[in-house]
Amino acid sequence: MKEIVRSMEMPSNKVLSIKEDLKEKIMQSEDAVFKELHTKEKYIEALYIKTISDETVIQDYVVKPFFEITTAERFLDYLQSHPKVKPFENEEQTLEELIRGVAILFYQDFIFIFDSKVDRNNSVLDTTVETTIQGPQSGLSESLPTNLGLIRHRYPETTLKVESTTIGAISKTKVMILHDEKLVDQDVLRRVKEFLASVDIQMFQTGEQLLDLIKKSNRALFPVMLVTERPDRVAVNLAAGKVVLLVSGSSFAVVLPTVMKDFMASMEDIYQTYWVSIFLQVLRYVGFVTSLILPGLYVAVTSYNPELFRFQLALSIAGSRTAVPYPSFVEVVIMLFMMELLTEASIRLPKAIGPTATTVGGLILGQAATEAGLVSNIMIIIVSAVAISNFVVPINAFSFSVRIVKYIILALATCFGLVGVVLGFFMFLAYMVKLDSFGQPFLTLVQTKSSKE
Amino acid sequence: MNRYFLYLVILNMLINVIIFIPKILIEYRYKGAVMGVLIAIPIGIGMNYLYSHALNKFPGQGLPEILAHSKYRWLVNLHLGSIQIMWFSAGLITLLGFTDILSRFVNPEMPKLFLITIYLAAIFLIIQLPTKRVMYFLEIVLYLNTPLIGFIIYKTLTSEFLSWDSILEVGTHLFEKPSLKAMAAATYSFSGFTNLIIFNRVIKERLKIWNFIIILFLGIFNLFTTFFIPIGFHGSDGAQEYLYPWISTSDSLRLVYSPIERVLYIFLMFYMSISLMSISIHWHVALELLKGTFKEKENKKKNWMILAAFTCCAFAGVLFLNTVLLNKITAYWMILLLGVEVITVTIFFLWARRRTA
Amino acid sequence: MKTLVKWRLIVISLSAVLLLNGCGFKDIDKRLFVVSIGVDKAKNSSKKYLVSLKFAIPGGKNKANDFFIVTEKADSMAEAVRAIKTKVDKEIDFSHAKVVVFSEEMVKLTDNAGVYYWLARRRDIQEIAWVAIGTPTAMDVLKVKPKSEQLPSNALFLSLGKDGSETPYIISEFYFDMKKRLIERGLDPFLPIIEAKKELLEVNSVGLFNKSKLILSLTQEETKILNHIMNRENKSALWVKTGNIKFIVSTTKIKTKYKIITLKGKQPCIKVSVKVKGNIEEMTAKITNEQLSRFEKAAEKRLKKQIKEVLVKIQKANVDPIGFGLRYRSRHFNNNDWEEWQRIYPHLAFKVDAKVEISDTGLIE
Repeated sequence: MKEIVRSMEMPSNKVLSIKEDLKEKIMQSEDAVFKELHTKEKYIEALYIKTISDETVIQDYVVKPFFEITTAERFLDYLQSHPKVKPFENEEQTLEELIRGVAILFYQDFIFIFDSKVDRNNSVLDTTVETTIQGPQSGLSESLPTNLGLIRHRYPETTLKVESTTIGAISKTKVMILHDEKLVDQDVLRRVKEFLASVDIQMFQTGEQLLDLIKKSNRALFPVMLVTERPDRVAVNLAAGKVVLLVSGSSFAVVLPTVMKDFMASMEDIYQTYWVSIFLQVLRYVGFVTSLILPGLYVAVTSYNPELFRFQLALSIAGSRTAVPYPSFVEVVIMLFMMELLTEASIRLPKAIGPTATTVGGLILGQAATEAGLVSNIMIIIVSAVAISNFVVPINAFSFSVRIVKYIILALATCFGLVGVVLGFFMFLAYMVKLDSFGQPFLTLVQTKSSKE
Repeated sequence: MNRYFLYLVILNMLINVIIFIPKILIEYRYKGAVMGVLIAIPIGIGMNYLYSHALNKFPGQGLPEILAHSKYRWLVNLHLGSIQIMWFSAGLITLLGFTDILSRFVNPEMPKLFLITIYLAAIFLIIQLPTKRVMYFLEIVLYLNTPLIGFIIYKTLTSEFLSWDSILEVGTHLFEKPSLKAMAAATYSFSGFTNLIIFNRVIKERLKIWNFIIILFLGIFNLFTTFFIPIGFHGSDGAQEYLYPWISTSDSLRLVYSPIERVLYIFLMFYMSISLMSISIHWHVALELLKGTFKEKENKKKNWMILAAFTCCAFAGVLFLNTVLLNKITAYWMILLLGVEVITVTIFFLWARRRTA
Repeated sequence: MKTLVKWRLIVISLSAVLLLNGCGFKDIDKRLFVVSIGVDKAKNSSKKYLVSLKFAIPGGKNKANDFFIVTEKADSMAEAVRAIKTKVDKEIDFSHAKVVVFSEEMVKLTDNAGVYYWLARRRDIQEIAWVAIGTPTAMDVLKVKPKSEQLPSNALFLSLGKDGSETPYIISEFYFDMKKRLIERGLDPFLPIIEAKKELLEVNSVGLFNKSKLILSLTQEETKILNHIMNRENKSALWVKTGNIKFIVSTTKIKTKYKIITLKGKQPCIKVSVKVKGNIEEMTAKITNEQLSRFEKAAEKRLKKQIKEVLVKIQKANVDPIGFGLRYRSRHFNNNDWEEWQRIYPHLAFKVDAKVEISDTGLIE
């Protein structure tokens, strides 16, 4: 009691120096605010940055009570018991909090950190990348607390553990690590944490960057983590014992470890009846294999092993190729290249003219190319089949990788014919088996839950 | 994990088409092959049982780990070394045999050396994986291919051109004196168990008895198909004229409604992956044993040196061996393999019993 | 650094691979597909054979598929093919040669083994190519272009394969089966005979071989009966005449079994039993369903007679397309069973037992 009375009069030198320090560091900014409030018995000082702090919160929880509560002791009690108020720890941390939007309160001999962060991006967005016909339609928002709320809402388990860390030398982005304590593989969790600690980057904006960072360490062709915008997918993966990373300011969550099976799964599988989802799964795998080997197979069949297909088919391929002036692999490369350009262009183009460009490119170009005798009819069918089946793969990051692999198989087919296609495909499978995602093999037939190698 | 053991045995059963076994068996069809096959079945099953039973006492360990603390270092090295050479040559014969088939049927104008490079590339990718991953990959390959082989066998068995009289005619030569070559060739179908030397690392449980029952039935069925189906298709007198009886048999099947009319190509595509897997498994065992023989820490350089040596052997094989010679060598090699297997199994079984008793 | 070296290695090996490329790479439009091969006996020449290859010309968007035939006289197939290669502009590809036609004169020659085995030695000729005898010459058969034919030689493929017309008068033969019969003791080859008419191909008889030489040609009806005995085709028709009523049984199932019985002291015999199921398709007088059993008997009698005649005819020619000899060998454990069979076969008796089941008289009674 005595102590408080003493400190009521004048803050100590230490507090004063901290105050001056902070003020000096922050006050160059236009939007920094230093405010003093006085009543008869007490006075308080507040320091905050108004662009990232919510001034109404300060008004409601600091200013109003300050004038309503008359005695100095009572107001101190109020501050100390308020849930938004944290005691001061050290100067460095305080400064860091300050630039994230908290208000620093200097009251008597105490320094308080008052959480007045404003959350401007907390609106829940609609899914745009991983759309489904049925099931939830809303995705994550760009605000970390909102996202955490969304996930907690879908995953009401006491075992859900949330830890946080920061990544990025400049951006100091807050990253939350979510996992279910009961289900998670501790070994995987350890690896994830090690990985996050090893990340060395200046600006960290979104989870997708992690894909790239992990690639630089082992040059993987495939993403080994899943980036998703769907809270339902996050919840399902949490229940499967995976680790989820939420990044502040990004409406995408990162799921670790991710294996081939996850990339081929769409949330729709859960929302459909059994046979429908089995059918869709099979369809996806068939599409995946088709887009991988079809161009290679075409080259192998037309240039090395025309005996593979029955005579009628061989003859019609030969017939459609008679006008084409160059070898089959050049034909395939030209058409595939055109197709890649079209796909790229239609992503970049504004939404309004995107479809037009694709139609013009796809239909008219294809038609004209065959008319001019530059490519064969069958080639057009193959290229469009490849293009379409490629997009059957539900996760974008993965289908982009598949786009690259088909060129490798095409190259092998050009050099080795049918052997090249088959071995190329199996080498690709072997590569996927070799790849691991935080200790989990990327591709296995039976995905055992926790495999310790 | 029990299934991993089955995979290894089944792989050897599948690959025997490439490694000249139908040819050797059919050559001796009137001279004791039938009896040889019948004798080979109990021998094969027996060795399977004894060896896996002995290894089962060391769950999750490969032979190098088991023998790591042995006092007789030279004996261990000799033991590992001989198996390693046998297993490397098994892979080599498969590789050369299959390259020969490919250069005959799929890429006749391509030099064999060129053809073998892509195989080596794929093999080296696989054999350097950890043992567990090799197993995972084997599982995937088998699951992708088993429906196909099942379909082809179904097609052969229901074909109207399969002459049961020809098969029975060979069957009537049952009471000939059994031929050693044919018997050794037939036991090869069962000798997939030897891969356990390394692959015991991934088998952590006891092998149950039903494994051996399945192997028994699969083995009988497998030997029947490898030996008798070509005879049924090409006649008891005519089958031996073919260099690759089974490949010619698959070419004798016609799929009326499939876009690929000739089963030959389906069959070859299927065997491209099966032979890749078989060579990789054998060479993975050889590679791991080599690593186990030199007890030092493994480094990248040494690894590359071993692979370079493998490559040289493969190239030399392609350059100096022709099919007929390879065929002859294989027949004697089979006898040698049978000998090595019997010795290895007996020694190890006795040693394991003394060790654990 | 290490990865950089690795990449350099990959780039070097890839470029080496690309430089090496070109071995075996030949586009489909640079190949000429042989669709059928014809072998005739050369006339007025010192050479032995006249080999003709029928090439398919793929059609484009607006033109139909076409074909042309190149012929060459030579003493062997290999020589002929080498000579034909100099006459065409593209690489000859045998991988789609699905029909091989020998002329009747040619198969009557004795030493044709070289030609027959040439087909097996070449890796690119299918084992499932059909083989047949062509009359008057093989060349004539190749030349025929039926009106309904869209692709060159497709009419031949369809009639010899079971996917087109299904008739009991065609016993088609795959090459691998012929090769088996060429050396299997106790099983002789046979080939269907294709007759070239102006715009039609007629396949309705079969030629029986004594190993490599043509011995006997069967008539149309005999071919059908042989087909029944060999269980090759279920859909057939039986013509039966009893009294003055003629009727035709359209069959849905024909199953033939045979058993060789050799008892000591008795004449060896073969018991052949045929089971036929079908219905009446046409008749000259009214038959009611109650009377069917009578007509079944009549049909059985007729079938028995026909089968026996064919069997005896085959036996007289001392050929064995059905494989009685092989059956005998497969049921006897002794090593000289083949010599025994050769003694037995000429005086073998046939006991034929037929059972015909007529289910109804079609849609109307």
